[in-house]
Amino acid sequence: MKVELYNRMRRGQMSRRGMLRGAASVGAVAAAGGFSLGLSTGPANAATDLRAALLKIPGVGTGSPSDADYQKVGEMTLGPTKAVVAEGEFEGVELTFLGLNNQNQHNFLFRGFLKPWEKYTGATIKWIDLAQADYNARLQQSIATQTVDFDIIEMGAPFEGDVTGRGLASEMPEWVKDVIDMDDYVDYLKAPVGTWDGKTYRVSIDGDCHNFNYRTDYFENEDFAAAWASEGHDGPWEVPNTWQKVQEVTKFLTGKKDPLSGLDAHGYLDPLKGWGGFGFYFLASRATAYAKHPDDPAWLFDPEDMKPRVNNEAWVRAIQDVLDVMADQPTDQINADPGTTAFQQFLAGTGSMVSWWGDVGAGAKTSDSSVVGEVTGFSILPGSDDVWNHKEGKWETLDTGPNYAPNMAYIGWGVYVMARVDADPKRHKAAWSAAAHLGGKDLSLWASAYPSGFQPYRKSHFNVDEWTEAGYDEAFIDDYLSSEADSYNHPNAAIEPRIPGIFQYYSVAEDELAKIYAGQYASAQEGADAIAAAWEKITDQIGRESQTALYRASLNL
Amino acid sequence: MTAQVDLLHVVTTDNITPRRIALGRTLVWGSAGILLLLIATQALFENGYLSFGFENWRPVLYAYVFWAVCFCASQVIIRGEQGKRALFVLPAVLFVASMVIFPLLFGLSIAFSDWNLASPDGRSFNGLDNVRQMWADPFYWNALKNMVYYTMAILVEYAIAFGLALLLNSQIRAQKFFRVAFLMPLMLSPVAVSWMVGKSMLEVRFGPIARLARWIGWEHPSFFGTPEMARTMIMVMDAWTFIPFMMIMILAGLQAIPKEVQEAAKVDGASAIQAFWQVVFPLMLPISITAVLIRIIFKLKLADIIITVTSGGPGGATDSVTSFIFREYRDRSNVGYGTLLAMVYLVVIIIAITIFMKLVDRWMNPRY
Repeated sequence: MKVELYNRMRRGQMSRRGMLRGAASVGAVAAAGGFSLGLSTGPANAATDLRAALLKIPGVGTGSPSDADYQKVGEMTLGPTKAVVAEGEFEGVELTFLGLNNQNQHNFLFRGFLKPWEKYTGATIKWIDLAQADYNARLQQSIATQTVDFDIIEMGAPFEGDVTGRGLASEMPEWVKDVIDMDDYVDYLKAPVGTWDGKTYRVSIDGDCHNFNYRTDYFENEDFAAAWASEGHDGPWEVPNTWQKVQEVTKFLTGKKDPLSGLDAHGYLDPLKGWGGFGFYFLASRATAYAKHPDDPAWLFDPEDMKPRVNNEAWVRAIQDVLDVMADQPTDQINADPGTTAFQQFLAGTGSMVSWWGDVGAGAKTSDSSVVGEVTGFSILPGSDDVWNHKEGKWETLDTGPNYAPNMAYIGWGVYVMARVDADPKRHKAAWSAAAHLGGKDLSLWASAYPSGFQPYRKSHFNVDEWTEAGYDEAFIDDYLSSEADSYNHPNAAIEPRIPGIFQYYSVAEDELAKIYAGQYASAQEGADAIAAAWEKITDQIGRESQTALYRASLNL
Repeated sequence: MTAQVDLLHVVTTDNITPRRIALGRTLVWGSAGILLLLIATQALFENGYLSFGFENWRPVLYAYVFWAVCFCASQVIIRGEQGKRALFVLPAVLFVASMVIFPLLFGLSIAFSDWNLASPDGRSFNGLDNVRQMWADPFYWNALKNMVYYTMAILVEYAIAFGLALLLNSQIRAQKFFRVAFLMPLMLSPVAVSWMVGKSMLEVRFGPIARLARWIGWEHPSFFGTPEMARTMIMVMDAWTFIPFMMIMILAGLQAIPKEVQEAAKVDGASAIQAFWQVVFPLMLPISITAVLIRIIFKLKLADIIITVTSGGPGGATDSVTSFIFREYRDRSNVGYGTLLAMVYLVVIIIAITIFMKLVDRWMNPRY
């Protein structure tokens, strides 16, 4: 609908400046066009119309979107591209795009989104699809062997140290910043994320954090409430808001029955098996409330010398917490990775609490295998009654109450343009135009509302009315979006260090954690010391001086 | 005279002129010179001693191919008919040298270097540091220990395969159907087996095997909860995939045993058990050893099922050397150390297989 509007506007010879005025989206374009053509739709309404129309493709509850839908979304959101690129301007340019193929998402969507862009600009895109597990190795090998064979890459912020830190990425031109409306990003995705040495490199297409997913039917269950009171627990039976309470609830639920399935009830689900480094995020989600002090930006390493903090009292307490409730976990939990806890357990009705990325919330009502769509609630990660002050070497109780420190695990996917396009102005503009199209404000709303692999990451994504109009249940989506927004905007959010080789640290930690959980160390402290020793080795191997400098830069110190 | 003693039956006598020989030598040495020049130039350029060079090593590869072609051609030019004979094997020799020997030497150079892909300093020679690290690496030794367990399981697999082969070799109904049915697991990818069996059928809540276990009274079935159980399950899944391979080899051997020998044993009054142990089994030894040897080689590469199902857990109980190297190399980009581990494993395998074959040879052919 709005594409036609746009075309009519084009025929009306609207100026580029006029098109961009008001809003950096086709909504604005359509609005301006509407005004010049004497249509009654005002600018705000036109933008809203476009976004509403986008969210109806294909419509919530009408099955998964198809490639035709992706193309339609790409076509409808081409306005900002048309504002800065003439038709056929990139004729003859071929760009290579390296991205993922997880769950047939990521590159599969990008192909559809960019097809109308290719048709309009004349550029063509060659695709390199990678499985998540192969991504790190492929990227590192390309960098190390100086065989970067792609112009655009879909990449997570943790890899910025590897890529932008070595000058391999192209600096974002000013016009792209205008097109993608970076002011709309949630605060934690703004600089220093996406920047290196003060230069901007990243078009964000995702925002990542772990939130806390729980079963409302457990915490509204009268039998559980009565048992909780009769067993003499402190406070009412309610969703735990500290890890201390999570532990208490998890132990309490052992031996009881799940109100939905009638099988064994379980509390918090810990993934005890590694997941190519990604499993470490889940220990971190338990640890941040203990380890991230509001007065200290660092929580994983000392910023002075990269000395690991993973064996300080905060982290050891988190590890001990896991050990303390291992007996209360479902059978075979030692062989459960994060994918299992989210999709085969929580969404399938096993367990009552789990930390995960937004995929659990997105899948609760849309996944065919989910049985908990009507009984899932969300909040930010639990806090802690006390927090470890690493500088002082003591536990502190804050005057403000429990310490919360949501884990901004992975910091979301972004699109980056490689420096190899810089030499050719036409390729440079083409690559950045493609990246800007994928990171467009309206397109991103659609991507965060439908299965795409991407979470909401813009302030404008948190307009509940837009989601309810698209067919979402208001209470559910409000709860879900609030848990995301409150995490992103939390003043004590624990933000991951963007240093080279960060997944090496996570991977080796997973190996040691597996031994700790299997009881091969005498204590959690001994196991944590082993992780710290392995991390020290990695830091020395990569280069302590450069790692420290990059770590400090990533913390904006 | 020459033709009479030439057992290779040269049909023509070459009349090779000195000029032709000189041409051949010019060709081979000229192309070798170009190759060496390019190698030297590129090496100096890469190390910063020269300001000019190629973007990558591809031109050197082309020069190598050119030299190889010239070298082959020069054999004919210089040696005529004799050179043509050399051409039957020379391309294969050059191919093996370039695809096996050169990468092996290159791999060795990597194995003795500190090369973490995330390091901005790149690769540097670090002597025996990687060997020392390996010596003190409990994960590697744990994986090697697990490989001993996994390899020992082959004896059980062999016994089962032999039993199945005997069954299929006997006169049973639907013999052809069972032969195909028993072979099917071998046709499946180990990754498919991992998902189908390890992650689905053995899933503790919904998996049919877990349901069956509950039905027969195992209240909380756990297939990967303890080190011993997890290792056993990995062995079972791997065995299920590869027993058909041993079975089909043994079956072929059984069918090749002459009927007369077995009939003679019967006539002499041997019981079924005696006939098996005294006649069939000894006759089957050569093929059995071949089957076991190939199976050992397969087993030493075991990784995919482990990576998919347990990631080496719990606590490294199911880790194989290959799955550990996979993590070290892929997840941690530790190319130098990962390569050394692989090289050491290669040497261990070569030594172990050689000892195994020597022992078998002594057993099969005793020297009195």
